[in-house]
Amino acid sequence: MAMTCDRVLEVASGFVLGALDASETIAVRDHLESCPRPHPEIDSLGGVLPYLAASLEPVEPPAWLRESVIAAAQADLTARRRIAEPSALPGPALAAVPKMAAGGLGEASGAELISLAVARLARRRRVMTWTTRVAAVVAVVALAGYALVLHGDLDRAQRATQADASFNYVLTLPDTRTAVMTATDGSSASGLAALRPTGDIIVRLYGLTATTGDQVYVVWLSRDAGSPTRVGSLTVDDSGVGYLEVVNVPTSSSLGLFVCREPNGNVTQPTGPTIVSGTFSL
Amino acid sequence: MAASPPLVAPDGLSEGQSEAELMRQVAAGEIGGLENLYDRYHAMAYALALRITTETGLAEDVVQDSFLGLWRNAGRYVETKGSVRGWLLAIVRHRAIDAVRRQRAGVALGEETDETLPAALTLPDVWPEVAGRLDAEQVRGALTVLPPAQREVIELAYFDGLTQREIADRTRAPLGTVKSRMRLGLAALREQLDSHHDGRSAVVTPSSSGKKGLA
Repeated sequence: MAMTCDRVLEVASGFVLGALDASETIAVRDHLESCPRPHPEIDSLGGVLPYLAASLEPVEPPAWLRESVIAAAQADLTARRRIAEPSALPGPALAAVPKMAAGGLGEASGAELISLAVARLARRRRVMTWTTRVAAVVAVVALAGYALVLHGDLDRAQRATQADASFNYVLTLPDTRTAVMTATDGSSASGLAALRPTGDIIVRLYGLTATTGDQVYVVWLSRDAGSPTRVGSLTVDDSGVGYLEVVNVPTSSSLGLFVCREPNGNVTQPTGPTIVSGTFSL
Repeated sequence: MAASPPLVAPDGLSEGQSEAELMRQVAAGEIGGLENLYDRYHAMAYALALRITTETGLAEDVVQDSFLGLWRNAGRYVETKGSVRGWLLAIVRHRAIDAVRRQRAGVALGEETDETLPAALTLPDVWPEVAGRLDAEQVRGALTVLPPAQREVIELAYFDGLTQREIADRTRAPLGTVKSRMRLGLAALREQLDSHHDGRSAVVTPSSSGKKGLA
């Protein structure tokens, strides 16, 4: 049925309540967008809806929800700004993470970091049973207490959280090229690398053996021809997780990435064993 | 390295700041604006989410997702199209209904998109006046004057997210009857709520609201 002004008037109540069938809803929307005549009935009846919500007695949610909302917004803001202002980040970015966040998450209190963990758990809760929720809360409390006592762990947790937020955000961008990093030494090491059109590279690695002394993992970029280019280096603790972010790396259509474990960070060519490698998709 | 702008807005937000000003802060990425809006509306948002989902965990997820939706889309807010509170509650309602449907289907709660963010459908800037003059009890009083059958179809649509056809199936009433009850009930509710305003200028009058053809 063709949607006319009279017909819109007739179905306005169902439309503002979202109670029309999908096809009729679309027809009303199309009419409202194209009709030169005003339809005050839509605003008038739509204005009733907040009253319906106001008929409910306000209910106070758990106090942690506020922290969770704000922490999630801060993480979102951090990720957006890191993408919007890549030139503001020096490489290697592992060292840059706390600097970048100065004034925000970089100076976050223990409570803020706890809330970040809680926020993540809150978002995962929808797929948890109540028993796993209890276990998760216990884990968060334990983690929080441990982190508050050991500031070094707190700092690492902070970096990891920021790194996760940035990396996840970059992966959602349509023009990001990715490389799946797989072990070449038979180990369980793996990872993912993201390459932006600007030449920014983020590498996230898992299952690495912890570095000791001067030992480092060096990330190398290989091209079609020529010797590999050093991207940067990173150290790894007992978590086995490594993160590296570098800006303005010269790129080409064909790029491979590999990671070697080196006795120290002074190498200019790969000398140690290759641990993982991958190729950026086009 | 260029200095990053501060992530947290300085203190100084007052209760008197307008919603529009707070939304401008949120759109500019100032956390303080979001904190202020959360402090103002979290209890109402949570009550609505809880009423629709009937589950605290899901309601908490809905409130968090809704405030994040507001945070990420603040730039799309058009002041002249409705109040922030109305927009937020529309987001909460939409997300809550979506969450219930997804839960029934075993699908995880999705991220908000342009399609899932409702447009503002509220009276321009009426809310501050409403909040000052009507409490929840008064609004409930306005609802109770409706015939039960009209109130039922409105509540099934608003709080349960049912379509007119689904309401007809649920109540075993003819579809035409459901449509009629919804139309008459919403118009009568509009009338009731308007009467509480004593003809304040911001209230849409019958002549301007187009209600002529709705009653």
